[in-house]
Amino acid sequence: MTRNDEIRYIEVDAGPRRFARGWHCLGLARDLADGKPHQVAAFGQKLVVFAGADGGLNVLDAYCRHMGGDLSQGEVKGDEIACPFHDWRWGGDGRCKKIPYARRVPLRARTAAWPTMVQDGMLFVWNDPEGNAPPADVTIPRIPQVDDDRWTDWIWYETVIEGANCREIVDNVVDMAHFFYIHYSFPTYFKNVFEGTSAYQYMNGDGREDVRPATPSKNNPAVLGTTSVAAYHGPSFMIDEVTYHYEDLDVDTILINCHYPIDENSFVLQYGIIVEKKDGISDEDAELMAAKTGKFIKYGFEQDVAIWKSKARIDNPLLCEEDGPVYQLRRWYQQFYVDADAVTPEMTDRFEFEIDTTRPNEAWRAEVEQNLAARHG
Amino acid sequence: MIEPRPDVRLEDAPMQPVDCPSCGAQVTARKSSWDQTTVQWTSPALAQCLERRRAVEESDRPNRRAFPGCPALREAVREAAVRGILDVQSGEPLKTNPAQEAHP
Repeated sequence: MTRNDEIRYIEVDAGPRRFARGWHCLGLARDLADGKPHQVAAFGQKLVVFAGADGGLNVLDAYCRHMGGDLSQGEVKGDEIACPFHDWRWGGDGRCKKIPYARRVPLRARTAAWPTMVQDGMLFVWNDPEGNAPPADVTIPRIPQVDDDRWTDWIWYETVIEGANCREIVDNVVDMAHFFYIHYSFPTYFKNVFEGTSAYQYMNGDGREDVRPATPSKNNPAVLGTTSVAAYHGPSFMIDEVTYHYEDLDVDTILINCHYPIDENSFVLQYGIIVEKKDGISDEDAELMAAKTGKFIKYGFEQDVAIWKSKARIDNPLLCEEDGPVYQLRRWYQQFYVDADAVTPEMTDRFEFEIDTTRPNEAWRAEVEQNLAARHG
Repeated sequence: MIEPRPDVRLEDAPMQPVDCPSCGAQVTARKSSWDQTTVQWTSPALAQCLERRRAVEESDRPNRRAFPGCPALREAVREAAVRGILDVQSGEPLKTNPAQEAHP
């Protein structure tokens, strides 16, 4: 019988009471700028997203300050959103512009408007619990490939995750071993760098022979390996540049993995893919590859979700030396949950962590061999 | 707000100071094995780093515009481990090639 004081207990600190400060991607502008109001549940609130006749995308609190009507059930009229209850018209700046049945608009007729940014086809909204405007140096890097004809258009997925706080997905950026067990990849090189508001992950991987098609064909070629540079820019938006190495060519892709919190216990996960159209590859094949990559990633996230839904929050993870810098990542992530003037150097100072993959790779090679033997047996 | 917790792996083997002979930057580092390296920078150390001051190669790729790391510091950390100034937690001997082993 083990004595109680020898057991390691899971410790759980109080969860964050606020939502992260930073730019959050709400989706593709092309899907939201269709002249209709879109309801978005985010940051514990109900928001309305709409594009006026001027084409600009706006994000407002969904509840009309008159009698509480839900603007997302209303209608876009001109550059304004009209409340379905009494037709009060609200501009993208949050001001009431007109009340058709009133002589004038009352004083203080102003609702919450969220700072927005449309960049590379995506709509971003700035969340700041302190209510400050986005600092000029807190930006999302441009992705010039989006406007390049030699790249496919976005393929975009959205899924709602119930029963988990969005911080669970952020842990993935340092979790090397889960890429083998959950995502069927085989990391051979893995390094993290955190600095300022960015968290990088440099990962190279081998193809997994045990998950490859048994007989690779022209339309289903075997991936020999991958080279990836991924980074969170702020609390919720990750760009992942992945090169897939095939026998006779390399194909570059850019993946987005982003989320926004619905509330403390659910979030919306979105991911997008663009693929470089290589010389000698038809547009159709490039689109097909983007779609296939999307499916593979979707499958990977579904496996993540199954883990998140049943796992416990653990604030004192017991780590082996082959694990990544989980604690330091969480220290970095915490900067988005404290007031801007409470961010400490230890949260933002440059930190580097390179994993020794020797032992993991030995174990995984053996496991792959076993899987192959079982397949052929 | 809850304070960030320290890495459990540092309880028995904390970070140790390493100086870069190239620029004098002082960082703390840790090696759990010959091929694992942790480096904690401070902003004065980063400001001092010569490699850091060099412009990162232009790139149209969003994630390739960041400073990938300082090769001089990387060498300094390895050197500190070889000289025994920086502990290597695994206790494994430094891997040498067979030819060298034959002529100690």
